[in-house]
Parts: sequence; structure tokens; C-alpha cells
Amino acid sequence: MEESPADLASSEFSSLYAENSRAIYYLALRFLGDPQKAEDATHDVFLKAFRKLDQFRGEASLRTWLYRIAINHCQNLRQAWHDRHMFSNADDAVWENAAAKTDSPLRVLEIKELGQRIQKTLAGLPDEYRLLLLLVADEELSYEQVGTLVGQSPDAVRGKLHRARKTFAALFEKTA
Amino acid sequence: MKHQTKLSEEQQQPSRQVGIEQQTQQQSAREFANAEEMLRYDAAHTTVPPGIAQRLQKSTGQPGAPPPRSWWRNLLGR
Repeated sequence: MEESPADLASSEFSSLYAENSRAIYYLALRFLGDPQKAEDATHDVFLKAFRKLDQFRGEASLRTWLYRIAINHCQNLRQAWHDRHMFSNADDAVWENAAAKTDSPLRVLEIKELGQRIQKTLAGLPDEYRLLLLLVADEELSYEQVGTLVGQSPDAVRGKLHRARKTFAALFEKTA
Repeated sequence: MKHQTKLSEEQQQPSRQVGIEQQTQQQSAREFANAEEMLRYDAAHTTVPPGIAQRLQKSTGQPGAPPPRSWWRNLLGR
């Protein structure tokens, strides 16, 4: 279990943080690709949640609500970075070609290098695929909840997930 | 019979060595069915920096920041 803020204004917030901080931090870490930015983003997300709790209507789960805040925050950060660096993704055909190459299990010989290889692979994925895989990896989220977060139907999530998996596998192989 | 046993033990030595090497490799090698499974494993082995909690403690201590305590009670059904 993560270290929780022992002396926050409420013990309930401490529980909220303890239960969700790993998920939010991991999303930020792998979406932004920078531990320091992920740390800042996680702090900002929980602070925003703390201050905007009165906007939470209970229509979604707390985890989903936190993810919504985190996704908006991380996308804004990435957009700002892209605007400054004039970065552009490669043509979509590259991803489709890469996706066609493999659909086999992912083998890792050196588990200690896993984090670096995952980061490198995710960095090569389109934002949409990266976010989709990170959300689907959270077993607490249903396809419907993931769909809500990415603005897609559950069926569309399943279809894109298939392509995202294949693209990930193809790019992951190249990081070996 | 005893001789055979000894031979057998000697023959097992190299295989034991190979076994140890394989075991060492297996400790660092792993196979994942798909990307999510790999990400799930990675997430489970990711440590949240304790500095975030410390910063949050300071940030939420700022005037006007904390919502009423009852909000959290209502929210979590406590």
C-alpha cells in the first residue's frame, strides 16, 4: 500500500489517496513519460479533486472521476509541450503496418528493464492507443467506463483495443 | 547398484548447474499474454513517490482548500 498523507485535512481524503494514488500516478507516469512531471501531475490531480469535490455528483465512480481529472490534466500538459516543440506524430499508416506484424505473447528476458521498454513503446504509440491501454490495464474499470473516459462506445473500445495491443506488441519487440 | 547411483549423481551435477542457471533466468524472464497484462504488472511494481503525499498535506492545509468534512462522510457513506 502507498504511503498516505497522514495528516491531511480529513482521514477520508487520506483513504481516497491511498486507494487511488498508485493508479493515478501510474497513468501520469506512463502517459507523460517523466517521473517528475508525473509526481507534479499526481499532486495537482488530487489537489483539484480535493477542492472540486462538490462537483462530484456520484454519477461515476470516484476512480473514474479521478481519471477524468488526470486525463484532462495530462493532455493539457502534453498539448502545451507539443505546442512548444512543434512535435507531430508520424503518419497513422506506420502504426497500422506495425500492428500487422505480431499477435503473439510478449516475452521479457530482463524484467528489470521492463519499465524502460514499456515507456519507450508507449512513447511510440498514438495518444489514443496509449491512453486506451493504460485505462484497460486497470481492472477496476469496465469497458463501459473506459469508453466514457475516452469518448467511445464499449464496442469501439474493444475494436481499438485489439489494434492497440497489436501495435504495442510490434513496437515492444523493437525495444529489445 | 551403488556404483550406478554414484554415476547417476555425477551425471546430475551438470544438469543441476543448468537448472540453477535456468532458475536464475526464469526469475528475470517473464511472458505476458498482452499489453494490459504487462502494464498491470508494471503498475503493481511502481512505487508512488512519498513526496506527493507530503506536498498534498501542505497544499490542502491552505486556507479555503479543505471542503467540509461532511462531504467526505457523505461520499464514502460513512
